[in-house]
Amino acid sequence: MLKYLAKRGITYVFMIFLTTSAGYFLAVSSLKPALLEQERIPRPTPEQVANSMRLKGLDPDLSPWERYVQWLTGVVTRWDWGRSPNGAYINAEFGDRVWISTRLFLASIILTLIIGVALGVYSAARQYKFQDRVITSYSYLAYIVPAPIAYFLVQLGAININETVGQRIFFVTGISTPGMEPGWAQVVDMAAHYAVPTVAITLVGWGAYQIAQRQYLLDNVNADFVRTARAKGLSRNQAIARHALRVSFIPVAQSIAFTIPAIFAGGFFAEKIFAWPGVGSWSIDAISLQDVNAATATLAYGSVIFALGAILADFATTLVDPRVRVQ
Amino acid sequence: MSSETTTGSGPTASVNSTEDAVERLHIAGLHAPTDAVLSVRDLNVRFTSENGVVHAVRGVDFDLMPGRTLGIVGESGSGKSVTSLAIMGLLPETAEVTGSVRLRGQELLGLSDKAMCGYRGNDIAMVFQDPLSSLTPVYTVGTQIIEALTIHNPTMSKQAKEARAVELLAMVGIPSPKARLKAFPHEFSGGMRQRVMIAIAIANNPRVLIADEPTTALDVTIQAQVLEVLHTAQEETGAAVVMITHDLGVVAGMADDIMVMYAGKPVETGAVDDIYYNPRMPYTLGLLGAVPRVDVAEKTSLVPIDGLPPNLLHAPTGCSFAPRCPLASDACRDGEPPLAPVPGSALHHAACIKSEALGGDVDVHDIFAAPPVPESRFDAIPRTDRSTVLQLRDIRKHFPLTKGALIKKRIGTVKAVDGLSFDIREGECFSIVGESGSGKTTTLLEIMEFHKDQDGEVVIGGLSNKQAADARTKSAMRRELQMVFQDPTGALDPRFTVYEVLAEPLQNAGMDRPAIRTRIMELMKLVGLQPDHVNRFPNQFSGGQRQRIGIARALAVNPKLVVLDEPVSALDVSVQAGVINLLDKLRAELGLSYLLVAHDLSVVRHISNRVAVMYLGKIVEIGEVDRVFDNPRHPYTRALLSAIPVPDPQVERTRERIILKGDLPSPLDAPKGCNFATRCPVFAALPAAKQEKCLTLEPPLEAVAPSQAARSLQPEAPALDQQFACFFPDGELDDDMLVTHDQAEHHAP
Amino acid sequence: MTNLNAVDPAAAAQDAHLDSADVVIGKSTIIFRRFMRNKTAVAGLVIFLALTVFSFVGGFFTTWDKETIDPFNIGMPPSAEHFLGTSQAGIDLYAMTVEGTRISILIGLVVGLVSVLIAAVYGCTMAYFGGKVDKVMLFVLEALIMMPALLVVAVATSGGGAGLKRDLPSWLLLIIVLLVFSWMGTARLIRSLSMSLMQRDFVKAAQYMGVPPRRIVWRHLVPNIGSLLVLDITRGVTGAILAEVAFSFIGIGIKVPDVSLGVLIGGATSQVQTFPWMFWVPLTVMFLLTGSLAMMNDGLRDAFDPSSSSTGKARKARKIRVEKSK
Repeated sequence: MLKYLAKRGITYVFMIFLTTSAGYFLAVSSLKPALLEQERIPRPTPEQVANSMRLKGLDPDLSPWERYVQWLTGVVTRWDWGRSPNGAYINAEFGDRVWISTRLFLASIILTLIIGVALGVYSAARQYKFQDRVITSYSYLAYIVPAPIAYFLVQLGAININETVGQRIFFVTGISTPGMEPGWAQVVDMAAHYAVPTVAITLVGWGAYQIAQRQYLLDNVNADFVRTARAKGLSRNQAIARHALRVSFIPVAQSIAFTIPAIFAGGFFAEKIFAWPGVGSWSIDAISLQDVNAATATLAYGSVIFALGAILADFATTLVDPRVRVQ
Repeated sequence: MSSETTTGSGPTASVNSTEDAVERLHIAGLHAPTDAVLSVRDLNVRFTSENGVVHAVRGVDFDLMPGRTLGIVGESGSGKSVTSLAIMGLLPETAEVTGSVRLRGQELLGLSDKAMCGYRGNDIAMVFQDPLSSLTPVYTVGTQIIEALTIHNPTMSKQAKEARAVELLAMVGIPSPKARLKAFPHEFSGGMRQRVMIAIAIANNPRVLIADEPTTALDVTIQAQVLEVLHTAQEETGAAVVMITHDLGVVAGMADDIMVMYAGKPVETGAVDDIYYNPRMPYTLGLLGAVPRVDVAEKTSLVPIDGLPPNLLHAPTGCSFAPRCPLASDACRDGEPPLAPVPGSALHHAACIKSEALGGDVDVHDIFAAPPVPESRFDAIPRTDRSTVLQLRDIRKHFPLTKGALIKKRIGTVKAVDGLSFDIREGECFSIVGESGSGKTTTLLEIMEFHKDQDGEVVIGGLSNKQAADARTKSAMRRELQMVFQDPTGALDPRFTVYEVLAEPLQNAGMDRPAIRTRIMELMKLVGLQPDHVNRFPNQFSGGQRQRIGIARALAVNPKLVVLDEPVSALDVSVQAGVINLLDKLRAELGLSYLLVAHDLSVVRHISNRVAVMYLGKIVEIGEVDRVFDNPRHPYTRALLSAIPVPDPQVERTRERIILKGDLPSPLDAPKGCNFATRCPVFAALPAAKQEKCLTLEPPLEAVAPSQAARSLQPEAPALDQQFACFFPDGELDDDMLVTHDQAEHHAP
Repeated sequence: MTNLNAVDPAAAAQDAHLDSADVVIGKSTIIFRRFMRNKTAVAGLVIFLALTVFSFVGGFFTTWDKETIDPFNIGMPPSAEHFLGTSQAGIDLYAMTVEGTRISILIGLVVGLVSVLIAAVYGCTMAYFGGKVDKVMLFVLEALIMMPALLVVAVATSGGGAGLKRDLPSWLLLIIVLLVFSWMGTARLIRSLSMSLMQRDFVKAAQYMGVPPRRIVWRHLVPNIGSLLVLDITRGVTGAILAEVAFSFIGIGIKVPDVSLGVLIGGATSQVQTFPWMFWVPLTVMFLLTGSLAMMNDGLRDAFDPSSSSTGKARKARKIRVEKSK
């Protein structure tokens, strides 16, 4: 198992290296921070700009290849991901933002999984009944709404609740109210900030899981081994709960690989709309600020998340399916 | 004949009117033998489908006595499996089940799922057909056995359950049962999984054990093992057994009574000897005549039953078998005949108005107008004078067996085919038999996918694979050689009409359109299909018809040799006979040669001239088919032949059978000398000094010497056409692997 | 069915003039009929076609266009003069919606069709060659899946990609980027499907007959994955329309002065309380578009599915005909 994971790990490290390098070249050839600098008032001379850029390791006069070598040396030898045009260090910025993004998504990912799988099981058990039709139709609806619009609609809803009640229950933007004293008030404040984004991301996310789980369970409800379990003396529902359910988790576990990156991608929209300064909104800002190093770092982060998702999926599959356990 | 078990309820099981049914139920309640462990009356099952109501089971009656075995025989769609599931209460909720099923006097029909749970797995248990999918893949075998114990014995201690599980695994013959408890189903072979299924079924000492085609998915040697385990299980638990099968051989030795089902209805019931030796329903007659025998050299055609079973959407207006019955008269089409007692035997019932005329020595071949045995013009020419259509010289196919994820380590070699040589002459049928894993299929692939760089030489119609570098030679070789596949459905592109299917090889051969059209019409007639069906899609045909299309496609370009890969194994018995007769006819009329791979040795015996027995990639015995089958020399051939059940109850009851131990060994465990040593019944009984020879030296193929008598008559007699690879063909057989069923257990005829 | 061995010579003679061409028509007719039987699917098709027609001819029903400012009607709700009201800049919303719908449908169709084409070529190539070629191509494919598409879209459309931006309208740029990142899933699916088809006996039969590989791919592989391709086209169109809206919504997809549904929806979010029609009108159009595609997709899946219930009816009808013909 360890050997297998190590092998997968090496493949992914290589892939991350390739995507990140490709991303760097794309960024370096299309993002020109010097152009923005020139819009400053008073307008600096081109020499001044080039000088300040050179100091930050963003020398516009070097060829993309030279800059790539310079950047890569920094990353590999000193784990230094470079600097932004405004002088900030990527490494320092990055930590905070990853932490913010993680806080935003962790709860949503877990909720999405649990609610999606639970509703999938519930709707499969009531196939073609009213509850199933409602739940499954909702999931199909979620499929045809673009994520940012769904987030925006949830935000609108929260605003409406606030207005109806006449006081601010939910914060629809930001991560916390600055200057809060630690204690109960801070916890309430945090909950008020977390509620809306978490609900929004979860509402959009569970549909895919629900449909998949429902389908996989239905595929297994009439499986031979369920019949065997019933022949032993289990009731139909017991046999499904003990035997079909566990087997139907196998493909769902495999799909984790694609959900974690998908939620991360959705994170760009969520962070943008709920104004959370996480990795997603940072990367979009970085691009509009012509920040090569920040853009590359976020791209690398995205690749790492994908690899983590894939390895996690392998792991989860091994957990539920003894057939793939490698001796 | 014993009178303990009765099947059918005589005059009461008459017409299907409601009033009558009520009366029958009443009688069942009053007069059912009180000691019957399972008593079924007027069982009816209906499914509502898109197209209407399918009446899948129509009035099944039987009583099952403790410790007895009832065999239910029928083809697919006859309602035999539905009957068993109805008894178990395992049909989907949409099924409408009526009648009465009494388990030791307690009515089971109408019980809730929950109430049924108390009986299922406890008093009445079931073994299903497909062992590969019948165990939950994510739980260990131990967990699944213990679950069956926990459900019905909630107070049992954990240790006690574990001990019982080990005991059960040992009982069904799984080696090192304690360690295997922790294994997952995928770590077991099919035969082993079926043993586990049986262990689960007998865990709570059931009174009734239903086995639904328990060995259909298994190899013959494994089938013999599993049947033996079922036999032991029945002895240990004293359970009554319902054995459901399509194979008349399987039940011949096991069952006390037989019920033959057709179109959802029992058409003939009685004691096993009555059914096999004195059948009174044309369908039973046909079924018995449609099965070739492995133990006799019969050179008669098989009995084909034309047509298809009726559509159960419509209530039959007459005898449901009438449309296929050669004896049918107008009276047969007027009302369905009831199961009526056959004169001379109180317990033998048949649903045929002509049953009285059928007794005695009626020849089934006459009734069903079996075609005459086709004569090939090559039969008269000695084999050595005919030209060779296919020759294999020392064909080898080895696969590396690797282990390790990161760095692949070669830990061994799978010798799928290991030095194979044989030839096929004009007009003969050569068969390869063996268990799965013996290399039969790889051999076919090596022939079909011949290429220049393969290890060994394939000569097709005088052209060698070593010369097949250019496309011209290759296509010349291809034209001599065509193939018919096992699964007739998978072999036809679902998006092609029959016309397109048959046109493909002709177009490829460069024929022009009018010629193609003429040829297709010719082919359709040749394989017995209606030419006006060429416009249809494969899914509009039955399995047998699809196989005929497959055969027509293979014949399209007039090949010399047709490779048949299990051509009838996917077909029902009655349909199978028709296809086999067709193959026989085509070989004779067109002077074809066949290379046949089949697991059914009876089919092989019927159709072949020569046969090769393969074991782990090698031929262990080869020769003229009657010689090899009547006088097998290699212990493996003997075991293989002994594993085949014969549709003859007397023979089955008395014959001594060789039950091989275990499965085909992994290639890693194969000994250096004789491959078969690990399972060989002769080897096991040899003294150590002789065993050494088997383990270290590879026995070569040697010809059987003519007998003393033959030599004295004709001193110059040529060597017989039979070769085998064994040092000690005359050695004693190990007692542990020999089984004779005690006749006393079964009623004497 | 009667005697299998019986051959009716009259029927044989009558059938000697058949042609395989009418059979092909028969097949597509069956699928078409099954699709038409599905009311939801037909409704979806009608809505989608109506929107497409609307996006081309809708402009003729108003005198306004997407650039002209009406100084007398700024931020007005729907009225007789402006069917759907005007924006706060005084531009007719109806004209903009017509234009936006056309761009969205264009993006959807181009990306949906071309990405499936790329996927089919790529997937079949992988399956056909197998071995090393397959390994390398699979690696490239997975690496592309790994790339966060959104960042690349952002870099390509909003970065200083000055050269690109000058030469290409933003919708074309978006199409190109979406194309690069939209075909991988389908390609993987086609690869595994073709690989399993290659193992099927009917393909083997053709190989053993000596039918050349090119013909096997064309006659056996392509028709058998055809239904998957059609389904993936509708799915791809939906996906591309959704992606355009999502990207434009947060301001990294289509850039003004180009108009699309996403631009309209995104631009209206800040004043959704004051000018609600500016938000809800394009949003409704988008829902109609994606919803109608989803409905069609469902009906198509049913029509292609050989085990679907509507096949049962078709088969039954055929069987009756067969019985009558006897």
